[in-house]
Amino acid sequence: MSGGHAHVENSIWMRSLLMAGIFLTIGVVAYGVLVGGIAGFGEDQGLNGDYHDAKDAYYAAKESGVTGEAYDELHHEYVDTHLNYLTFAVAGNTILVMMIVYSVFIGFGGFVNSLKPDADHGDHDDHGHHGSSSPIVLAFGVMLFMIGFPRFAHGAEGMLYGLEFELMDMAMSTTGLVFVVLGIANWWQEDLPFDGHGEQIATATEDMVPFRGQHIRKVGIWVFLMSEVMVFASFFSSYLRMRTGWCTDWAIKSGVEACAGVPEGSVVTASDLIRGDLATLAPGAINTFALIISSYTIVLALKAAKNTNWEVSSNPLMAKLMPTRKAAVRNYLIATLALGSLFIVLKLIEWSHLIAEGFTLATQQGSIFYIATGAHGLHVFIGLLVMLYLVFKADTVGFDEENGQGIEYFGLYWHFVDLAWVVIFPAFYLY
Amino acid sequence: MGEHASKIEQWVEKSPIPMDIYALNFWILIIFTLAEVAAVFLVPEEQKYIVWSILIGVGVIKGYGIAAFFMHLAGDPRPYLWSFVFPFIFVVLMLWGIGLSNPSGITGLPEWCTPFSGTYATSNP
Repeated sequence: MSGGHAHVENSIWMRSLLMAGIFLTIGVVAYGVLVGGIAGFGEDQGLNGDYHDAKDAYYAAKESGVTGEAYDELHHEYVDTHLNYLTFAVAGNTILVMMIVYSVFIGFGGFVNSLKPDADHGDHDDHGHHGSSSPIVLAFGVMLFMIGFPRFAHGAEGMLYGLEFELMDMAMSTTGLVFVVLGIANWWQEDLPFDGHGEQIATATEDMVPFRGQHIRKVGIWVFLMSEVMVFASFFSSYLRMRTGWCTDWAIKSGVEACAGVPEGSVVTASDLIRGDLATLAPGAINTFALIISSYTIVLALKAAKNTNWEVSSNPLMAKLMPTRKAAVRNYLIATLALGSLFIVLKLIEWSHLIAEGFTLATQQGSIFYIATGAHGLHVFIGLLVMLYLVFKADTVGFDEENGQGIEYFGLYWHFVDLAWVVIFPAFYLY
Repeated sequence: MGEHASKIEQWVEKSPIPMDIYALNFWILIIFTLAEVAAVFLVPEEQKYIVWSILIGVGVIKGYGIAAFFMHLAGDPRPYLWSFVFPFIFVVLMLWGIGLSNPSGITGLPEWCTPFSGTYATSNP
């Protein structure tokens, strides 16, 4: 990171532990209410009890040869209670796991930084430009993780299901993860005290050189986004290529020549299961709005950070929520974090419903759907981890007109994730 | 924030619209998303080309809104825009590749997408 540094007190690292505690509390409470309370742990409690009762009634009717409306009703009851149970159980489990990850991330980040002597955090005269090795360490870690991932998945499967596996199967990916953690921790250490002075700028003697006079970090983000366009384009074009060959109900009803004579229901896509009913479309639709709103809240965070004439709102509620510019930036980022987290929770609820209905990875349609939407969800989740760091920085060092560009650069990534969803949502959910 | 206000941003600032470009863009995105979802429910399934047109049209408008104003491409120096647009050349090539590689796709795609139709081998002639 470049030269200018704000003074970072060691005591502020204690805030990381406080935030980790808050996240853990949210996770445990959500789990208790959703899984323990509404969904129910025991056979006779909550939705779990309803689900088992409905299941027993359905199978009893099936075995005793009940047919007609009574049988259909029991079947519907069984499916409905199962989906209701899944909704709350998956939501509670997802929130708990996410909050544990958030706590570990923020707690570990604070711990690593507290190991660094104050002298390293504080002011020093080094205002020269020097690059960071963290992205290279991080990228190296990701590369090792990906190379080792097939064997890692095999090992993890063996471990989870009690099958035979060798511990060495997981060595490569685990080493990669260690490098990833080191890269992130070092990056955090370097960026937290950065107050915006000494931002590296692209220099060139020729006028025609692109990006001359621009911030190098911003150019870097755009180059990264170029590669991301290709990643999502490959998913999208693969999907279109496959989709044009499928005789879906839509294609059959529309009279596509190649599908003449093919019975309806031969090929079922995710959108066939989702778009027909408002209840099944709801998670995807709410997620679309969540991402758009989160794109707006991060813009508001940046706007507040850059606004040197910032004033407390005349609206009493907003004035209470945003009493200072620092609080406004932090709270807009927290809103963005909450909306992104909602996206992940709804995504997993939707997946659990699709899997319960038999739409799995085993088919071409399932494979491309889960890979494409999963890759997008992974991007959202990685963005949330970066957002956690931004919330932490906003709460401690703070963002202002000098260092607010950190929000802008991350915002570019976040908006891109929103942009990718603009394509994925109609293609995979509505079409 | 963009380094320079684009013409649209300047127009919004001068207009009587009681919101800035970000708020306006946000509401436009929300309204078009509602239109997108409504189209699927309201247009009969048989009219798939109408639904496609709406989905593609709304997608283009939403994409422009996010890229131009939230990502500040409308106000930033042009090289940023070219950086973003450049990979789309390959995206178009990949989509064009559908016509070259997917036998059933060939019959459903327009001629400009399959310029060598009939002159190359496919896995399913």
